[in-house]
Formats: sequence, C-alpha cells, structure tokens
Amino acid sequence: MTKPTIPTPRRLSLLTDYGIIWTTIALFVLLAITTEAFLSPANLRNILDQQSLLLIAGAAMTLTLIGGNFDISISASFINAGIATALTVNATGNHLLGLAAGLGIGTLYGVVNGAVVAWVRVNSFIATLATSFVFYGVGFLLSDRSIIRIKDTAFSEIARGRFLGLTNATWIAVVVVGLFWFTLSRTRFGRHVFATGGAAEAARLAGVRVKLISVVTFVLVGAAAGLAGALSASRTLTAQPSDDFGFVFAVLAAVIVGGTSIAGGDGAVWRTVFGALFIALIINGFNLRQIDPIIQRLIHGGLIVAAVAADNWTKSKRT
Amino acid sequence: MNPHAELRGVTKKFGGAVALNSVDVNIEAGAIHALVGENGAGKSTLGKIITGVHTPDSGQLLVNGSQVAFKTPRDALALGITLVAQELSLVPQLSAAENIFLGIEHLRGPVIDHAATRTRFDELVEEYGIEVPPDQVVSRLSVADQQKVEILRSLARDASLIVMDEPTARLSSSEAHNLRTTVRKLSGKGVTVIYISHFLDEVLAISDRVTIMRDGTVVRTTPTDTESRSSLIEGIVGRSLETVFPPRQAPELAAPAVLSVRGLERTGAFEDVSFEIRAGEIVTLAGLVGSGRTELVRVLFGADPPTGGSIDLNGLPYQPRSPRQAIRAGVAMVPESRSTQGLLPLLPVRINITLAHLSKFVAPGGVVRANQESSAAERISQAVGLTGATIETRTAQLSGGNQQKALFGRWLVSRPRLFIADEPTRGVDVGAKRGIYNLLVELASQGIAILLVSSELEEVLGLAHRIIVMSGGRIVGELAGEQASEKDVMTLAFGASAA
Repeated sequence: MTKPTIPTPRRLSLLTDYGIIWTTIALFVLLAITTEAFLSPANLRNILDQQSLLLIAGAAMTLTLIGGNFDISISASFINAGIATALTVNATGNHLLGLAAGLGIGTLYGVVNGAVVAWVRVNSFIATLATSFVFYGVGFLLSDRSIIRIKDTAFSEIARGRFLGLTNATWIAVVVVGLFWFTLSRTRFGRHVFATGGAAEAARLAGVRVKLISVVTFVLVGAAAGLAGALSASRTLTAQPSDDFGFVFAVLAAVIVGGTSIAGGDGAVWRTVFGALFIALIINGFNLRQIDPIIQRLIHGGLIVAAVAADNWTKSKRT
Repeated sequence: MNPHAELRGVTKKFGGAVALNSVDVNIEAGAIHALVGENGAGKSTLGKIITGVHTPDSGQLLVNGSQVAFKTPRDALALGITLVAQELSLVPQLSAAENIFLGIEHLRGPVIDHAATRTRFDELVEEYGIEVPPDQVVSRLSVADQQKVEILRSLARDASLIVMDEPTARLSSSEAHNLRTTVRKLSGKGVTVIYISHFLDEVLAISDRVTIMRDGTVVRTTPTDTESRSSLIEGIVGRSLETVFPPRQAPELAAPAVLSVRGLERTGAFEDVSFEIRAGEIVTLAGLVGSGRTELVRVLFGADPPTGGSIDLNGLPYQPRSPRQAIRAGVAMVPESRSTQGLLPLLPVRINITLAHLSKFVAPGGVVRANQESSAAERISQAVGLTGATIETRTAQLSGGNQQKALFGRWLVSRPRLFIADEPTRGVDVGAKRGIYNLLVELASQGIAILLVSSELEEVLGLAHRIIVMSGGRIVGELAGEQASEKDVMTLAFGASAA
C-alpha cells in the first residue's frame, strides 16, 4: 500500500509507447537507403494495396482484442465471404449484391461467435477455433469443393480500380481504418470496449453492458473480415474453399506487433496500422533482395514473440 | 542488544519522487518491530529494501553488523530475510506442503520424496506451532491459512527475519487475532518480525518497538509501551486529531424513506431482510465477514438477483436486473474490492470517473465531448480531494486512498438517491479515511440515503445514524448510532443473545 506514485519518466514512455512508430520509420529509411527499387512509387503503392485487406480486418480485430477476446475464425469468414460474393455475382450479375453477400456472411458469423462467447461463455480462443471448422465446412459445402471463377470481369474494378493513383481497395481500407480509429478513440462504445477488456467486472458494476459490448466487437470483426473477403474475390476474380489460417495469423501479427495488449484493455487502431506496415516493409525488403520466402515465416513468428515480450516488459515497468 | 538489521542514511527515489529520505532504523534481533505511517510514508519501501526487492540509492544496510548490498530478494533470502507481501504469492493449484517446499523439494533421485517432505513439514509445525492442513489445495484455504502457508514457506527456508506487509488487511477479526498469536510465537522462537500495519490497536497490542514514518522520513522509533493510540496518530499525521469523524447532522424526522426492503432473500446468502433508509440518513451494516452484508448490497445494486422479497425505491417498486438498471434508478455503489470490481487500472482517472455516466458527455452518434468530460472530471477530482495526480494519471499509479476517492467521484457525476459503500476505507491511510468520512456525511446532508458496509467498528459507530447488525445472513439487531457501543455491536454480531 505504501507504494509511492511513480511518475513514468517522459523520455522512456515516449520511447516505449511509440516504439512501433520509430522502428517502422527507421526500417523505412533503412530500406530507402539500401534497396534500390524500394522507393519507387509503384512499389510503395503495391505495399499499400497488399496490406489493404489485412488492415480492414486488423482495425476491427484491434477492438476485439482490447475488449478482451480473440477471434480466430476470421480466416473462415474471409474465405467464405469470397465464396458468397463470387456465387452471388455469378448468379445475379449485381456487384453491390455480391459485396453485400460477403459482408453479410461475415456479419452473421460474427453474431454466432459473439453469442457463443458472451452467452454460452466459452473462452473466445477455443470458441472461435471451433466455429472456424464449422465455417470452413460451410465454405466447402457452398462452393461444392471447387474453385469459383467470377465470369463478370468488370467486378474486379471494385478492388482494383484506381483513384488518385491508389487502388480502390487501398481507399476502402483508409476509410474503414478511419472509422474504427474514430469509434475506438472517440465514442462511448469505444470507451466501453476498453472498460470491458480492462476489468470486466468493474465495468459491469459501472453500468457497462459488457456482454453486448463483446458481441458487437465480434460482429464488427466478422463484418470487416467479410468485406475483406469480398474485396479479395474482386481482386482475383476467383474464390476457393480451404481451411487455411493464414489470414487471421497475419492480422493478429499486425495487431500484436503494433503493441495492442493480448490481455485486453489497452491498445489503439493506429498501432495496428504501424504493425501491419512494419511487417509489410520487412517482407517487401526481403522480396526486393530476393531472400528465401521461408525465412519470412521465421521472422513473422519471431516478431510476434518479440512484440508480446516488449508489451510484458513495459507493463512490468508501469504498474 | 545487537541490531539484526540496521539502516543508515538510506535514501530511495522512484523517478522524481523521494520514497525514503536518509532513513536510520535499528531492528533488534528477535523483536517485533512495527512500522506505521500513512500511505506513501515509505513503510513498504523500507520493507522492500531490507528484503532486497528494491536497492537503495544511497546509504547503508547492515545485517548482523556487516554491510550488505542485496541486488535481488534471493540475496536477502540467503541471509534468512524474507517478505510476506500484501498480495500472497502462492501457487493456488498446489497443496500447502507443495507450496511450502516449492523450489527446495526433498528429492530421491529425480522424484520428490514425499515421506521426507512430510517429516520436514511436521518438524516445522512442531517447532513453530503454526498449523495448516498439508494436503489441502491452497486455493481452498482461507486467506488466513494461506498466510500461514507463506510464513511456513519463509521458515522452511530458515528465515530469521520476516517482513510482513499489512498481514491482517484482508482478515476477519478472529483470523487477525490468530495471526497475531502466530507472530508472537515466531518472536518467541527468536525470529525477528518487521510488522507493517494500518491498524494501530494491533500495533500497540503486538509489537515491542514501533517506528513512525511520515513523508519518507522517520519521525521516531520508540518502545511500543511508551506510545498510545493518540500519540501514534499524532506522529503519523504530524498534528493531533481532535476527532476523526465529522459531526453527524440528524436527518429530518419527516424525511421520506428512499429505500425500503421487505423480506428480501437470496438463497445461501441472506434471508428475511427488512429495513428502511430515509433521505439524508446514514445506515451502517455491521457484522462479521460472511454475515451476508456484501451479498445484500450486491442485490440492492442489481449485481446479483434476489430469490424472494421486494424492494421499493422512492416509493416505487424496484427490481434491478443489472447494475446498469440500478444506476439509472439512482443507486450508486462503491464495491468491496477496489482492484477487481472498481477500477480500470490501465485507464486514467478521467475515464474512471466518467465511466458510469458517460451519456452526460455524449453527443448524438455516441461521440464523447472531450472538453466537457475533462472539465467535469477535473471538477469532481477536486471535489473528492484527489491529490498528487492529474486526471490523466493511470489509476494503477494512485495510492489506495486516491483510488477510492476516484471511485467515489464516479458516483458524483450525477447525484444518486441511494449511495452504497462496501468497506470504503479498507487499506487507505488515516488522512484519506477522514476525507472519505467527510464525503459520506456531506452526501447525507444533501439528502442522499447512505448505506455503509464496514468491518471497522469505530467507523460503524462514528458515522451511523442507525446501525443494522447482521449475523448468519439475518438482521439480528438494530442500534441507534449515537448510543451504541462497540460491545453492543459485537455482542449482536457474534450471535450471543443481546438480552
């Protein structure tokens, strides 16, 4: 009890709180100096376009994590949304209806996840791992286990069309990230997400509807993954069932490397943006220097461990 | 007598804050040496320096006459010095004996030698007379027994000096009594005990010597029998306290009942509870730990559902199905546990204060009006007397008293009709206690009905207009605040017939 108030030295907190910004900038400068093709506008545009789908889901996943939950099933939502979009576009020829189908199936999956976690009270990691397999199964059934090709090639414009030099997918990501940033940092809902993940019982006793808040974060991340899946279908004009966890892994990596706490209650959407860019720059640098892609996986995994270790270290310093 | 441990001119800073300023203390071997002072006076820091948790910035630490420089608690342990902290550090899934010998297991080859472990356990129990069930899983033990396990763990490592930081803060009064017996036994066996406590009566009853600390310095170290309760308080706060409690203002006789409870029950927790609280009245719920008081107020706040009975609030039926509904009906509650039920530790004071009434600062569309919110938080933190922190300080960094004030502030954003406080002064220092008492009396004078749960008798007696005593989940008596004595309350609480 007799612990005196310890003011965090300003300089240290600037270093640790914003570490991901400094490291990302440092990496950018390093690549700009050492790697010839890096600074070309085409390469930079490419990086942004490649990260757009991940950022859409990652911004939403940031809220889920801050609210104290994981959602492993967004890979399934992503894949199924692509299938639903492809099927709908082929069946109706309506592009917007196709997007809506992808967004809708992701939202629906989010509701299912939220219900299982909040009301059936299954640990979110296990619950969404379990629903992942259910959703993967649905994907195989919907697609009849085969690759679906979108016949209407104009549909690719939705993701690949350009505005002011950047792809539409990039612009959609900018808007979605902006929305989630604003929601988390400025609205009552965002405040309640922090409270729910920081101390659920305390939040409940302060009148926060903690279950509803958790459910909404699942719905949002499901919808975002659905949108990302629909855009992916637009980008490739194909959709294919699989049970690959690659997408959620990349999204979680961006959120965690950015510095959002896996314990809940702490984090920010801008962190996820920098986390995603940091990883993207590393991979881009490797590609430009033609380093074995297998090495990228080692780096990816190592970064997550390093990020969580850094989070633990700063936590132990400040409480 | 040779000092067991000796601090000479020890200074310790955290960032810019001076926790200890050139402190000199002698700890005599085999004595029970108490440390008293307000929160932030430096007691725990001193204890942590002796046990190697913190290293001093300057000054010397001597153990058995020779200078030492502990870098880790492990270094201190090597010289038989251990800390029993406020937050216990046991492995909940392991048994008492397994915890005691964790890290120093008796092995036969690679396997744990259960027979030898048991023999050593029995020896320890025999030698110090501290008994715990060896095979019980620690999470199933009471807090008091868990503390004994911690002490036995120290003794199993041949501890000769044990620092205890607020060991009785979480114990019921009978458990605290047992702990004091244990501490005396340790002292009788030649173990030196440094005893950090907020409870002055306890310090007076148990310790041989006492050091009073204030603002990181030693006020004085004296034999305990030369001190009294009032002399200790005077030393701690640096001025004499006429009376700790603000004057009570009698509620108007004609004041309407704000809360009226009839035949309320929650199976397994309490039953047949009926009482009223009028506007401006302070009612305290007294009783032993486990008498059903916390369970009762949780039902009143909508945190748990009742299984029978009815409640009226301001003359209207009141059936809160969640704390959210209770808050909307004008009920506020400062819960029993600050750390797990009250605070959002990672978030700043501002967010902790406005959390329950954020709607007041929200524009259409759910956007928080940052300026309005900040100015309200600023105003309230001043009203509750939050000191030494800004509204952007994370609450985890506040002292216990300031944390509690922030939680009180949460319910002042919008004026409640019924204010429930469950053990609001637990673990806070004398000065902050007084601040909280003033707040409660102030709220009552504004016509708010106050329901206070407290295990501190002087608080129960000093604040209440009316005292309701609970025992075994029932109301066993009601006393007028002004006339009741400690004995009256305890007689009822222990279930003996009052007649």
